[in-house]
Amino acid sequence: MATTPRGGGTAQRPNGASQNKICQFKLVLLGESAVGKSSLVLRFVKGQFHEYQESTIGAAFLTQTLCIDDTAVKFEIWDTAGQERYHSLAPMYYRGAQAAIVVYDIQNQDSFQRAKTWVKELQRQASPNIVIALAGNKADLSNSRVVEYEEAKQYAEENGLLFMETSAKTAMNVNDIFLAIAKKLPKNDGAGNQGSGQGRRLAEVEQNRQTNNCCK
Amino acid sequence: MSPCVTKVNSNLAAVTFFAKTHAGDVCGSNGLPLTPNSIAILGRAQYLKTIEHPNLCEYLDIIRGKHERTIIVSEYAGAPLDEKIKICNDVKTILRIFYQVAEGLNEINDHGFACHNLEPSNILLDSQNNVKLFNYGLFYMTKQGEYVSFPIGNIRYLPPERLLGSQNNIKSDVWSLGMIIAELFLECQFWSSLKISNIIRKILSLSNVSKVFEKIAREHNCFEKYDNLNSDVRELIERCLSTSISSRPMPNDIINNKLFQENIETYAYKAPPKPEQLLLRCPLKQVYYLWQLAGGDVQTELKKEGLIRSEAPILSMPKIVCLNGKIGGSKRSQSHLADNRIVILRLNNLVERLRKVPSMAYFPLIHSPKFAVHYGAGMEQLPLVIRERDTEYQFYRVMLFSRMLKGYPFTRDMIIKEAQIDIPPLLRGAVWACLLDVIEDGSYERIDKVTPTSTDRQIEVDIPRCHQYDELLSSPEGHRKLKRLLKAWVASHPQYVYWQGLDSLTAPFLYLNFNNEERAFLSLYKFIPKYLHWFFLKDNSAVIKEYLCKFSQLTAYHEPVLAKHLNSISFIPELFAIPWFLTMFSHVFPLHKIIHLWDKLMLGDNSYPLFIGISVLKQLKSTLMSSGFNECILLFSDLPDIVMETCVVESQKMYSVTPKSICYRKNVLHEVDPGEFDISDISLSELQGEVSPRISANDLIDLIFNGKDAVVILDLRGSLEFSRMRVAGSINIPFTTVLLGDTRLESLGVPNLESILADKIVVIVSVVHENAVLFSKFLIDCGVSRVCVLHQGFNILHAVVPSVLVST
Repeated sequence: MATTPRGGGTAQRPNGASQNKICQFKLVLLGESAVGKSSLVLRFVKGQFHEYQESTIGAAFLTQTLCIDDTAVKFEIWDTAGQERYHSLAPMYYRGAQAAIVVYDIQNQDSFQRAKTWVKELQRQASPNIVIALAGNKADLSNSRVVEYEEAKQYAEENGLLFMETSAKTAMNVNDIFLAIAKKLPKNDGAGNQGSGQGRRLAEVEQNRQTNNCCK
Repeated sequence: MSPCVTKVNSNLAAVTFFAKTHAGDVCGSNGLPLTPNSIAILGRAQYLKTIEHPNLCEYLDIIRGKHERTIIVSEYAGAPLDEKIKICNDVKTILRIFYQVAEGLNEINDHGFACHNLEPSNILLDSQNNVKLFNYGLFYMTKQGEYVSFPIGNIRYLPPERLLGSQNNIKSDVWSLGMIIAELFLECQFWSSLKISNIIRKILSLSNVSKVFEKIAREHNCFEKYDNLNSDVRELIERCLSTSISSRPMPNDIINNKLFQENIETYAYKAPPKPEQLLLRCPLKQVYYLWQLAGGDVQTELKKEGLIRSEAPILSMPKIVCLNGKIGGSKRSQSHLADNRIVILRLNNLVERLRKVPSMAYFPLIHSPKFAVHYGAGMEQLPLVIRERDTEYQFYRVMLFSRMLKGYPFTRDMIIKEAQIDIPPLLRGAVWACLLDVIEDGSYERIDKVTPTSTDRQIEVDIPRCHQYDELLSSPEGHRKLKRLLKAWVASHPQYVYWQGLDSLTAPFLYLNFNNEERAFLSLYKFIPKYLHWFFLKDNSAVIKEYLCKFSQLTAYHEPVLAKHLNSISFIPELFAIPWFLTMFSHVFPLHKIIHLWDKLMLGDNSYPLFIGISVLKQLKSTLMSSGFNECILLFSDLPDIVMETCVVESQKMYSVTPKSICYRKNVLHEVDPGEFDISDISLSELQGEVSPRISANDLIDLIFNGKDAVVILDLRGSLEFSRMRVAGSINIPFTTVLLGDTRLESLGVPNLESILADKIVVIVSVVHENAVLFSKFLIDCGVSRVCVLHQGFNILHAVVPSVLVST
């Protein structure tokens, strides 16, 4: 199976003529500030890691395409600001999203609690079929771990979330978590073959909140 | 002025050393890389630049080279004591040295640190035998030597307790002073032939000697000289060399000793005659700055003297690298050893460059219009980057601004006027503070910057991510200062909260005022209400929405075609412009760009940033026009290289041609109450329903009378009403005749309308506001720029005196 992430900016049609399906999904990253949301995206989209990744104000937008079998899955990723005060902006980004990664820092108990609140909020207010993944980031710093793997794993299972511990720094599980999400998203026929993205018109999406179909 | 350039005595010098490299681990426990020690030194040493005292050499600059090399640029006035030792043999001169070194140590002590590097080569004597201590901050800047791998201080002059590890006590320096003075009086160097280990043994053996001076004198067969000394002098030296630290005098006790006080004018600092070279009378920081502009490069100078030697990289390859990062097997490079040679930075080039500068230019007479020669005139047209690097031009600017700054706040208007041309980089921090009306009053000191608060965690995670490419801001000292500033700002604004982004906003002020936290703080304190009024409210959504809505309106006003396109792809400012405005672009641009942007921003009012935003859009216009939503948003997630100069020029142009009321926002600090003919109180929902901005009757009238045909009025009323009463020269387009769906100007049936409207401010006047709003949208869809709607409609014009209306 091809799992190579492809080019940063625009959606590139994967090589190989057999791949004739493109699905587009809107994915949002949520979590406490400084847990590594932007770093995860940067690692996934550009394969880079910046030690001093700047804080995100408002939100940032990036895209990346993964290939699963004969389907190209294009993620339109909204990377949000972590500070609690920016909370009021969050619905603008998670509304209409088909997937979310809720990130916490394995060194920080508060960030895990915050992740749980995000999960609750998503379950209550986002699209009912949203695929949620929980990422325990900074796994390379397991020396100073305070959130146990088992604890998070159990919480994820109870809530039906995908779960991985990741490290944007070492790239551990970064592609994997996106891939796991891509696999779990429904890719029904005719899905997402449209030229432009589902998540693009936030204003429209707001009006059509009932849409929960993945690629339509 | 002396024409002979070769005889210029330079009093600038550089020394260099290597900071300790971190062994093995490159990351700390928080996962972030360890800060290189050279950066930590750079941050700490900034403080030394603030010390000005006649008996201390002024610190001027700290530079990082490759491989943790650290270069210190400092004043170097006169010749070191060890070279002048022959002429220092009379009691008066020796006592003068004694007294003045104590003065220097006392100043150091007042600044809360110790020298620990006192030895004859670091005591400089000028022509008047005034003392200036050199390199006295090495121990401080290296955090008690922690950041370097070599020991600090000449063993020969170290007291026993220093050898045993005690540090940070100024009294250790008093011992060193005692030793130096004792050597001068006894006219011999102690233990000159001994090896270091034996010197250490000797010093430690003094630990239980009661009269150290006497013991040393006997040991060196100088007892006679010792015995012949004035008993007061002998006594004082003996006390300085007391092995019990508590019985040693403080520098201040030495200064106040009656030995000196009875004859103070013999010993005190005597200002040397003013140098003939006017340049040398300027503050050293300015001389050094100009020296750099004139092509001076410290690293090149050090290379010339062989202090920086480059080696083939292959020679420094390690033979073994362990998995834990430890390296071994490489020979210790000779070029990495500490070398305490001092390199004088010659001023010849600079003097040559400034040869044509008239003496008058050194003393700009800013209050005498009669003598107001505008030096550097004609250079304003050159690009800013060239002006900022031109030695002569910067010389004039620095002289002029330093003079004006001395007269602040009375010279504020002059400063504003000159700042409109440009701001000399050397004085930018101070000039900005003037533009922001800052008066330093010591208030910063009283603000609580220590008590833990609930925002601390957020501040602490943001600081290590804020402009960390900059050496100063990434140093531990920079982090501490930024934290203090942010905490102080939050503490002094109970009505506001810390929003992420405040860190970026504070960074430029800290960067420019690294050694003047109060000025940095007060600048921020004044900046926020001026440009970001109410942005830091806990619930700032209404303020931000209004701001972004005004941004959309102004984009439509200046760039209707672009605005139409962005609107059609739902590319709304909420998605990209929040970090722009919340941080005044300090989160999206690197510091060197922000600085030039803010130079102009400071001169504008609260609406100026909106025009910066439009000029950014304008610069990317062609890309944006051909892109869909995804491409547009991607473009802004990773803002491409914006040419700052174009951006500044463009935004200034728009700012100056846009009537003030067009930019009206409710949420600004209104200094005067609005009058009958001004705009007041437009609600957010009203604002959001309008694509074009409104213009006030006042501004319209002003345009009619003084605008020199800058305005075209489109009157939407019926033709009958129009013929009865109208503004002279206005064009009647009855709203009922307009087909809103047919977005072509020709459909309006007015001949040559396109050329009539071109380059004019188009004011829509109506009695039904909704019609005016619809029509403004129509015009924007037709691509007409500078469309606005008269606030309160036609009827407001009836009340205007003298009347602008004509009737038939």
